[in-house]
Amino acid sequence: MVESTPNALCFSEELPPSGAPCLVHVEDHGLTITFFPDRDEAERRSESLRFSELTVSAGGLDHDQLVATWVGPTGQRTLYLKSPDVIRAFRQAAPDHLSQPLERAAEQVRQVRQRHRMVWSLVGGALLVVVLGLWFGSDVLVELAVDRIPVEWERKLGESTYHDFLAHQDVMKEGPAVDAVNEMIHRLTGQIPENPYTFEITVVKSDVVNAFALPGGYIVVFTGLMKKAESGEEVAGVLAHELNHVLQRHGLERIIKQLGFVAVVSIVLGNPPGLGGVMKQLGVELMTLKFGRAQETEADLTGLELLYRAKIDPSGMITFFQRLAEKDEGRVEWLSTHPMSNARAERLKTQLAEMPKQSLEPFTFEWTKVRASQGALPSTPP
Amino acid sequence: MKSEILYPGAFPMVRVELAEGEHIKAESGAMVACSPTIDIESKMEGGFLGALSRKFLTGEKFFFQTLRASRGAGEVLLAPTVPGEVVVLDLDGVNEYMVQKDGFLAGAEGVVIDSQMQSMSRGLLGGEGFFILKMSGKGMLALNSFGAIHKIELKPGQEYIVDNSHLVAWSTTTSYNIEKATSGWVASFTSGEGFVCRFRGPGLVYIQSRNPGSFGAWVRQFIPVSQ
Repeated sequence: MVESTPNALCFSEELPPSGAPCLVHVEDHGLTITFFPDRDEAERRSESLRFSELTVSAGGLDHDQLVATWVGPTGQRTLYLKSPDVIRAFRQAAPDHLSQPLERAAEQVRQVRQRHRMVWSLVGGALLVVVLGLWFGSDVLVELAVDRIPVEWERKLGESTYHDFLAHQDVMKEGPAVDAVNEMIHRLTGQIPENPYTFEITVVKSDVVNAFALPGGYIVVFTGLMKKAESGEEVAGVLAHELNHVLQRHGLERIIKQLGFVAVVSIVLGNPPGLGGVMKQLGVELMTLKFGRAQETEADLTGLELLYRAKIDPSGMITFFQRLAEKDEGRVEWLSTHPMSNARAERLKTQLAEMPKQSLEPFTFEWTKVRASQGALPSTPP
Repeated sequence: MKSEILYPGAFPMVRVELAEGEHIKAESGAMVACSPTIDIESKMEGGFLGALSRKFLTGEKFFFQTLRASRGAGEVLLAPTVPGEVVVLDLDGVNEYMVQKDGFLAGAEGVVIDSQMQSMSRGLLGGEGFFILKMSGKGMLALNSFGAIHKIELKPGQEYIVDNSHLVAWSTTTSYNIEKATSGWVASFTSGEGFVCRFRGPGLVYIQSRNPGSFGAWVRQFIPVSQ
């Protein structure tokens, strides 16, 4: 059976502009080109070419085709060979005078391929570096960005959210509870060296068991949390934890992470004004901001140290956290943003055990009276 | 398999007659109407990875539809999404075409569709993206354009310059370089052309008489800006 599938295209003045499909056979002396190989015997036309008539080069879209040209009876003809088998056979059979141009053509193909490969691997490598850099370096970038944000901005950011929140709340202006919280904050902040924040604290009348800190030093304590506490030290533990979220700028870190890479880059490279608007929009989300596990641990440990320096019994912090977690009676919102785990409590206990014993200074208020002022029953086990 | 272009011009339709057992693949959503003997199947041409690469790399559809005359001979009417001409090519097994991402309408079962990576300069500046479709194999291939389709026939060594966003398809025997439209950088962009492709024959280049990107920008100015 005669092979009839065309394997090359031939171009010339009298052939169709898209090229005439033809079948090329490589023989010892040269090429045999059969036009219209898939038609009837009568319509086929064959031509024989000697290698000496041909000039060769590389051509086509990706320079991966072998182009052979010669001058035929009707003018110049060009043959485009694509099939690797035919090209290989051609190179093997070609006489010496063609081997140099063939080698040049092959070299051209190799160069094009190599260049493609090199450019793409460079681009791929660069992408990989960027991705890996973001993956492993994002925390460093976030910290860099956070460092560049002035405390004044942080205050403005927290301030608007704080006032918006308090506008819809029943704020407790004075009374034993407010005095007690102020005393705790005073004791704790007195132990913070080089404190850039002026803490503002508000007690809100609500049964919700919660307390939170906003960036810039705004702290809100709900009376619900104070009713649950069995001692001032327990509330002081929560406050120490919240104060450290502010001091370590955890809120800001979360925002930067949420804002994403673009914001980080714009801050690091120094274009902070544009970011103000975005951060204001995000202010609403500050209320629902969840801290990461690493941030919680950091606030726990630094909170514990702060309590220790202020000579407030740090074990209150641990027992309160654990008790809140055990008695899940609903509405303990503090837990939804501060999930308590055994590992966390264990970690705090270990840390506490490592601290040298010291004499504690009790608070000036009586906790039972503070609790009673909020309508809580004296502490009796349920 | 016989095909015919109905209503040539801006709103054409392609009628394909299929003998029993024959099938064609078409761009997803291209089918307008068909005989009851035709079954419509959805197929990921080139397998899952092939389809995935086509979807993400060329912006073409993930699925092609396969229209199969499984219950007897029948006909299918196909139409592209955008207004513009349709051209039907007959692939002979040696001629291969590169097709820009929105150019494929339908192809016979013998037509092989690949997504192929372009060189960096062509990918960045050619306006077709880094991956384009390569059509090879044998059989009917229907391409569609935005506006009218114009065929440029290039003799060996003959050159022609085409604005890159007007390209529809070109044969793989051609080669092209991307260059600035004018000798200066500023004038290249103020002339509104930016980059152009300098094609070199032999082979065919199909171009479209309208630029989809420019048309989109023109329409955008009439769309009210929502808050």
